[in-house]
Amino acid sequence: MSNEHTVKSYEEELRYLIDSVIKMGSLTESQLVDSMDAVIKVDKDSIDKIIKSDDEINKFRSKIDTQIMTLLVKRAPMAIDLRETISSLKISQDLERIGDLSKSNAKKVKPLPLDLPEELLGNLKRLGDLVIKQLNDVLDSYVNKNYGKAKEVWEKDEQVDDLTYIAMESVIDFLSKDKKNLDFSTHLIFATKNLERAGDHITNIAESICFLIKGEYLKGSRPKGKVIQQ
Amino acid sequence: MELMNNVKIKSKNLNVYYGEKQALFDVNLDLNEKEVTALIGPSGCGKSTFIRCINRMNDVIDICKVSGNIEIDGVEINDKNLDVVSLRERVGMVFQKPNPFPKSIYDNISYGPKIHGKGETKSELDEIVENSLKKAALWEEVKDRLDEPGTGLSGGQQQRLCIARAISVNPEVILMDEPCSALDPIATAKIEELIDELKKTYTIVIVTHSMAQAVRVSQKTGFFHLGKLIEVGKTEKIFKNPDNKMTQDYITGRFG
Ligand SMILES: Nc1ncnc2c1ncn2[C@@H]1O[C@H](COP(=O)(O)OP(=O)(O)OP(=O)(O)O)[C@@H](O)[C@H]1O
Ligand SMILES: [Mg+2]
Repeated sequence: MSNEHTVKSYEEELRYLIDSVIKMGSLTESQLVDSMDAVIKVDKDSIDKIIKSDDEINKFRSKIDTQIMTLLVKRAPMAIDLRETISSLKISQDLERIGDLSKSNAKKVKPLPLDLPEELLGNLKRLGDLVIKQLNDVLDSYVNKNYGKAKEVWEKDEQVDDLTYIAMESVIDFLSKDKKNLDFSTHLIFATKNLERAGDHITNIAESICFLIKGEYLKGSRPKGKVIQQ
Repeated sequence: MELMNNVKIKSKNLNVYYGEKQALFDVNLDLNEKEVTALIGPSGCGKSTFIRCINRMNDVIDICKVSGNIEIDGVEINDKNLDVVSLRERVGMVFQKPNPFPKSIYDNISYGPKIHGKGETKSELDEIVENSLKKAALWEEVKDRLDEPGTGLSGGQQQRLCIARAISVNPEVILMDEPCSALDPIATAKIEELIDELKKTYTIVIVTHSMAQAVRVSQKTGFFHLGKLIEVGKTEKIFKNPDNKMTQDYITGRFG
């Protein structure tokens, strides 16, 4: 937004809303990083902290909801302001869901054995790193109102699908080697699937950002990678 | 393809001057039949000047000079030989401040039809009065007091009386210049609902300072600034994602 509102408090309220979304975003990002770390290192000590940080994210979400409602009734925002308001609502919803998925992954660490195969962890880590990068990029495109970057994230979800496929294969491979692995493997399958879902929420955020900037939704369907049969 | 109504009123290179001062600059604007067009813009941008061109109300202002064209159904109305009285019969007007005549409710409505030679007999006039008041959603409230003065009604009722008066001569176009700015939210809601109903029959042009009202009542919106038509388009588009930066600044409150 280049010009400022004639009413200064309106300007401040909008700024405050956007700041809340940005803060919620970076909180969600560090929670995702932490939960990925916990999974890869099978670090059971950090689980509680990660679960707690989810409360923080949820609090942000309800704070943002309240800010949005107040803005809607007080200012009846139009055009760019309306899109800014609506996209904060949508983005904060997707962030909250990503938080839930990170929490769910942290919980899966508890039953895991400490000697998971290198290759399996490596494939899972590559998927996790990509999802983290995608979240970082999409938040960056939100802060800088960068349409091209948001669209790139949207297109790159194809790679998340591909890495999900590879990670899944190595989990299934692990499972087929020894039936005793069944328990862990189920957890790992869910954890992998959660990362893929987080990726989908990130593409939703990318869509909201494109809508925010241009006032129209991205056209056509996004490129899809290999899909796991469910 | 979305269905578009026919163009009812067309302004082409319309320029208006008050003495030396130019108030409108080359305005090209199409208004569709049986549709509501909202005109918005900061004070003094020429909204009232524009709608006054549609029924030649600017003729009564000595220093006002109009050039360019306004066509209604393809016929030029800035023609010197055009009968202005019959033009104003086709193009009715409702003002910001309700201005009923200091006469009875009945006379307020029957006056127009009488001078335009409609309604020869008492029963014909009765029918016009009743129908007009019904169309203006005022009949139920005033049917038992038609001989009371129109000025004794509430502001919102007076405005609906003025709308009934405009309707009584069976116009094709109704111009409304900030018709709700003196009304409370309930009276405003009634007028807006009425506008929605009236657009089935009439082509309506409304000047408003309320963005929300423009969104609620109109299908098309034109934004004026310093006498120029800056942007015109579907109301939804204008308020969600206007093309012009000035339009955006105005509707989001980033002006001046
Ligand atoms: N009768 C008049 N004599 C001289 N100048 C006039 C006259 N009427 C309007 N103007 C000038 O023409 C310009 C446009 O006025 P107009 O009344 O059309 O604006 P508007 O958009 O309707 O404003 P508002 O929202 O305040 O009603 C203004 O600069 C105004 O001062
Ligand atoms: Mg005016």
